[in-house]
Amino acid sequence: MTASLYRLMLRSQLTRARVAGLLALGAVGIVTGLAIGSSEVVNHQLAGTRFIDTFGLALLAPVATLIFASAALGDPNEDGTLVYIWLRPVPRWRVVLAAIASSITVTLPIVVGPLLVAAAVTGAGADLVRATAVSASVAVVAYSAVFVALGLRVKRALMWGLLYVLIWEGFVAQANSSAARLAIRSYTRSLLSDIADVYLRLADVSFRAAWLVPLIAAIVAGGYATVRLTRQDVA
Amino acid sequence: MTDLAAAPPPPHQAVVAVEQVSKWFGDVVAVSEVSFSIGPGVTALLGPNGAGKSTVLRMLAGLTSPSQGSVRVLGRDPHRDLEFTSKVGLVPQQDALFEMLTAFEFVKLAATLLRVGDPAEAAEVALNEVGLEPDDRRRVASFSKGMRQRVRIAQAIVHQPQILLLDEPLTGLDPRQRLHLIDLFQKLGAEGRTVVVSSHVLDEVERFGSRVLVLAQGRLAAEGDFHAIRELMDDRPHRIRVRADRPRALASGLLAGDGVVAVRLDGADAVIVDTVDAARFRRAIARTANDAGARLYEVMPLDDDLESVFRYLVGS
Repeated sequence: MTASLYRLMLRSQLTRARVAGLLALGAVGIVTGLAIGSSEVVNHQLAGTRFIDTFGLALLAPVATLIFASAALGDPNEDGTLVYIWLRPVPRWRVVLAAIASSITVTLPIVVGPLLVAAAVTGAGADLVRATAVSASVAVVAYSAVFVALGLRVKRALMWGLLYVLIWEGFVAQANSSAARLAIRSYTRSLLSDIADVYLRLADVSFRAAWLVPLIAAIVAGGYATVRLTRQDVA
Repeated sequence: MTDLAAAPPPPHQAVVAVEQVSKWFGDVVAVSEVSFSIGPGVTALLGPNGAGKSTVLRMLAGLTSPSQGSVRVLGRDPHRDLEFTSKVGLVPQQDALFEMLTAFEFVKLAATLLRVGDPAEAAEVALNEVGLEPDDRRRVASFSKGMRQRVRIAQAIVHQPQILLLDEPLTGLDPRQRLHLIDLFQKLGAEGRTVVVSSHVLDEVERFGSRVLVLAQGRLAAEGDFHAIRELMDDRPHRIRVRADRPRALASGLLAGDGVVAVRLDGADAVIVDTVDAARFRRAIARTANDAGARLYEVMPLDDDLESVFRYLVGS
């Protein structure tokens, strides 16, 4: 039952335009990584890690995940097809789980694949590749759950999600470490920093918290989406 | 409300019980203090666009809960009971489907989620019932409006639900398909299922020949058997055109009769009569014409259709 929903959501999220656009963005990352790798900077490890942080964790991971995850339940909710899922004896948590899982399935290769290549070609070494794999994966999982819930909660979730990513995470949360605690990016950046062993500003969350908080955020978001789906009116 | 319930007995077994239900969205009252019960068989929910039919159906399906009052379907609260969803089939009004699926995939998905034993076989049967080819490999995105509507109906009947809620189900269908589906709904009703069909087209309701609930401006304007509607048609003010060879003489004779409230000449060979008692008028017209020395050519009601009844009910 969950598998059927998962396949349905996978097919509905995977549109050529979305995939092509995001692969193009990933390609930009790879080209930039090549540029870093072939440049004569003194510290490729530092330059590469900063690049993965500012491009991969601040832009590609959240935006790509937003595009797919917010559509997983947001599109059916807005176009009225949610009724064909809602009016079935399927526990709501399974619907939310299928949405999050399908979003992760689609987003993970689109985000992590190009970022791994980009990290590798920067010449920063294997630590950065490992750090990129872990931090980007954690980011995709956490953002998937959060943006699935957002898609269910608000209309024009894409716009609200972009505001969160660009204004909150990209600007407000950069002001100080207190504000940074309320941004997923701080935790994924800390993972990147810890595993790559490179200092990054505002990447001062403990290793355990850097794992746990995104996971807890995903669980809370999934729980909220389940409650929301149970109680909301369906068009 | 116009009470038509005296003619037919109320349903013995109330599958749907709606008591003093109101539903509002912000300042807009969609449904106001509506009460009715529905038993097995076909029941038509009749009313103009915006009358609250879809809101009532959505509450019956559990898609939304009433702001006030109670809705019980099979003795359950449809908004809170997850298992209830396996007993109901809904044809929603909105056009959207999962566009990337074929009709077979769409209906089979519904059967799978509804835990039907053999989803593929059930999907085939349902698609055949509505006159669609299970082997059609085209995506529903390329389907005509009528085909899309039949896909919606197929997904609603794929699990042979106890309750079938159909929101304007004949929209977009050609006359042959309409007849086919009306037969299907009547067959399901005759099997003991509860079929609730909403429509703003009175001709459709007349074909269902069923119990009727009339909604107007969010309120229940009338309820009863279709035959009671027919009786109401006789009881309400009527307009009748009578063609005769001596219309002036006939008009004088008609004015003297009971129940005739107005008579006017219509061309050289006809009079138009407004009467409050159509049955008595029909019985008396031949004698009145004879007394006036007029030969009758034609007696034709000008508003003998459900549209007129509906206007009358809403107006009252």
